[in-house]
Amino acid sequence: MHEYAFFLGCIAPNRYPGCEAAAIKTSEKLGIKLLELQGASCCPAPGAFGSIDLNIWYAMAARNLLLAEQMKKDIALICNGCYKSIYEVNEKLKHHKELREGVNEVLKGIDMEFKGTIDVWHLAELLYDPKICGLQKIRDSVTVPLEGTRIAVHYGCHLMKPKKERHFGSTEHPYWIEEMVAALGAEPVEYRNKMLCCGAGGGVRGYDLVHAIDITNEKMINLREVKADALTEVCPFCQLQFDRGQIEIEEKFGVKWGLPVLHYNELLGLAQGMSPQELALDLHAVSCEPFLEKIL
Amino acid sequence: MQRTKGYPEALDKKLADTRLFEDERHPDFTKTIEKISMTIPHMCYQCGTCTASCPSAPRSSYRIRKFVRRALLGLEDESLTDPDLWLCTTCYSCTDRCPRDIAPTDVIMAMRNLAAKRDIIPVNFLKTVQAIYTTGHGVPNNDVNRAARKKLGLNPEPPTTHGFPQYVKGIQYILDYFGLKERADKIVKEREG
Repeated sequence: MHEYAFFLGCIAPNRYPGCEAAAIKTSEKLGIKLLELQGASCCPAPGAFGSIDLNIWYAMAARNLLLAEQMKKDIALICNGCYKSIYEVNEKLKHHKELREGVNEVLKGIDMEFKGTIDVWHLAELLYDPKICGLQKIRDSVTVPLEGTRIAVHYGCHLMKPKKERHFGSTEHPYWIEEMVAALGAEPVEYRNKMLCCGAGGGVRGYDLVHAIDITNEKMINLREVKADALTEVCPFCQLQFDRGQIEIEEKFGVKWGLPVLHYNELLGLAQGMSPQELALDLHAVSCEPFLEKIL
Repeated sequence: MQRTKGYPEALDKKLADTRLFEDERHPDFTKTIEKISMTIPHMCYQCGTCTASCPSAPRSSYRIRKFVRRALLGLEDESLTDPDLWLCTTCYSCTDRCPRDIAPTDVIMAMRNLAAKRDIIPVNFLKTVQAIYTTGHGVPNNDVNRAARKKLGLNPEPPTTHGFPQYVKGIQYILDYFGLKERADKIVKEREG
């Protein structure tokens, strides 16, 4: 059993609790135990805090990192936004002495010191990694194959970009999450401009909603083109943007898409036999029924 | 399709005057940007790959190439007062494609930091700060969600600062250390009364 401190973030536990429940239950079956990271806060939002003052962003993220350092466990998380804050600040503080000293100066006031003893992982990369879990193990855990469904993947931005500060290689045309979708028995479909942003990041969703959902709308057009039954992602913030964004698109632009949006862990949960109730799929703004009818 | 309010006028005004006045240039601005962003805007040869990769460019007058040029020329006021500065979704497509290995996204973030120092910042950013100061979360829990969590067999409050509110003090200490909460309150009050 591989053990990780499970960093929740905000949107997963407070808007889509099914993602949280699914992550814990599904990974337990795959040999990954997610432990409570008590007292963690917002990562903090890289768009909002990074824009105001990067130094505050470093210090706030470092506090979350240190809670896991005290547990002596690596962090696993399920949100790309959190990944940017927690992963990137961890790497930056490990490698920039000046930044580290600045942050430790602040954290002295709450008796904490950044030492850089842990690593940060996205749960999706742990599931893909054959040393931790791997595709075969995912395939073996499936009891309700998602056969006959066409599922498109949204990678989101902050998991793999900027590539220089990550370890995923080229970000132009990745295919590894599609492989993970195929492992569930579904047919992964690709679509035009797959790596386009969901539109929510950088504080744009709050600053100019019409601008943000216009980007989402472009993705929806491309997804309709390939007749996807559902969209999957690995970031609850992207999920929020696609899911509630479709309602906002309907209000502002008068277009109704009705495309179910599910976190990869929710899909994995369905494939491992969890019921829609156990995943709180009723909290999704866009009904998942058309997709569920195809698999259940 | 509805477009963002005010953009056509803003764009017209910008295009009307493209002269460069020497006294508007601040070489220090370029250096400060390079220090905060840890990237090298002066290497830019204005190829435009960044703007071509940008999801915000087709739907607004936001041009990332223009901002990098402004960073290089030291056009401080023009950069920081431009409302387009806040339309970057930080998707990092420009950063991954830049043939000169510049990180234009980080140039934008550095500019936003400098703008925020002058209190030029949209209120939604500050409201996130206020929410985090009170609860530790930018998107806090609510009753519908508590009920849903219970049904899933989860604790109604997640094991974060919601379940362990004693940890909020540490967050408040960090934000107070930078005086951010006080500034956020002041600016939000000024703008919204």
